[in-house]
Amino acid sequence: MISQRVNYIINYFKVALLNIKSNITGNLFAFAIMSFSYFIMLFFLLCYVNIYNYMRLFQKNNIMIVFLKNGAKKDNVINYIKTIKGIKNIHYYSHKSSLKFLEGKVNHIRSILKGVNPDFLPSFIKIRFKKDAISKIFLSNIYLRIKTFKGVSIVYYNKLLEDKIVQFMFFTKVIGLIIFIFLFILSIFISYSAIKLVILRKQTEIEILKLIGATNSYIRIPMFIEGEIGTILSFFLSVLLLFLIFKTFIYYHFSDFLAYFHINIIFLSGWQIFLIFIIALVSGFLGTYLSSKKFFYEPAI
Amino acid sequence: MIEFNHVYKSYDKNYILRDLNFNVNKGEFIFITGPSGAGKTTTLKMLIALEKPTHGTIKFIDTELQNLKPKDIPFLRRKIGFVFQDFKLLSNRTVFQNVALGLEVSGIFGDVIVKNVTEILKAVELFVKKDEYPLSLSGGEQQRVAIARALIQNPQVLLADEPTGNLDEDTSRIIIDLIKSFNNKGTTVILATHDKNLIRMGRARTIDITKS
Repeated sequence: MISQRVNYIINYFKVALLNIKSNITGNLFAFAIMSFSYFIMLFFLLCYVNIYNYMRLFQKNNIMIVFLKNGAKKDNVINYIKTIKGIKNIHYYSHKSSLKFLEGKVNHIRSILKGVNPDFLPSFIKIRFKKDAISKIFLSNIYLRIKTFKGVSIVYYNKLLEDKIVQFMFFTKVIGLIIFIFLFILSIFISYSAIKLVILRKQTEIEILKLIGATNSYIRIPMFIEGEIGTILSFFLSVLLLFLIFKTFIYYHFSDFLAYFHINIIFLSGWQIFLIFIIALVSGFLGTYLSSKKFFYEPAI
Repeated sequence: MIEFNHVYKSYDKNYILRDLNFNVNKGEFIFITGPSGAGKTTTLKMLIALEKPTHGTIKFIDTELQNLKPKDIPFLRRKIGFVFQDFKLLSNRTVFQNVALGLEVSGIFGDVIVKNVTEILKAVELFVKKDEYPLSLSGGEQQRVAIARALIQNPQVLLADEPTGNLDEDTSRIIIDLIKSFNNKGTTVILATHDKNLIRMGRARTIDITKS
């Protein structure tokens, strides 16, 4: 029984390879169309990943300023902040440091600050966060905890920026999902059309096979194998093409130019490529299923 | 073995077969004859469940074909070999591969295929051309390949629809003798033709479809 099944599988592969060989032009055409479709999908994902990363970079650079009350024990506040998880480093600015900081920021009107008593300026603590810990909820939570601590006057962080980034990222995710679904359906349609062209050429062969007693699975399984071989090859071609374009982009030092704006261009991770690969396999399968469906309808006698 | 009882067949209310009744016994050789368009091909197609009768019943051995489920149709077709006027060979496969196809669809692989295909190709005198492609063969040779493919599954019935329609008289005689030789070994044969010469050559029971 097992050897029978193995024989069937070997035969299905033989038939699929024979079909590819005997209809090389049609298969190349289908291969080209599918490669183009997957290339667009991967290119979109690459753009999406980089936009998303860029926004995350903005979010991760958010800092928090804790203004202390006059006479507050700074060590108590610093020690308390140090106990909070997700904090990268803290930096204390005394009254004098605040003045220096201010002078540094308004260097062109520095003379106005001459004679100002540093005690009029607040002492504060600047907090930087670990990049993997930061999120909207995390910042709000820390804000509330520090605000209520004894000796703390005002806690400030760029909530507006954080909110806008979160909104933008949500918007990006929704738009990304819509485009992704659209591209997925499109890739099914492209696989469907490409494989249908191949099947139309094999219509006579299908009829003959049916007349000599071939079951639908006997005819269809090699088609699925043929479709999936085409999908796998076209997918890897599109990944290779995208990778070469990416490397060329880097080669011409565009990354240095973008680095000036703190934009770091990254290529797709293994998981992301794997995800698209699975989607490609599914779309290839569905495309073959839909395009071959009508050829296997057998009316009841 | 085969029974047609009050079989009617119509396309868009135009009846091409009316009240068709006949029986075929096991091991028999019969001709189905009638002018072009009389329904000879349709009669054969109904036997392999490629067409369904508008009314009436068709019985093959113990199976009422009108009760056959779609998933069982391939298994019925494996019991019935079919030879066509236009051969219906796969042009991208060799003579050997075309004949082997009949066994492969039934789940037979390996040495059994080599043994059986070699045997049948020798019987139809085409073993020397086993590695050639159909388009490089003559019409008579292609028809012999089609007969070999139809008979490789050792079917109980061989249906032949105008098998000599595209062949000259000498080649037709070779084909009819070949079919007769398999009939002598026990295969039931139903041959549809309008060719009176062929019927004379075959010397067998003839069913005129227009009078049945």
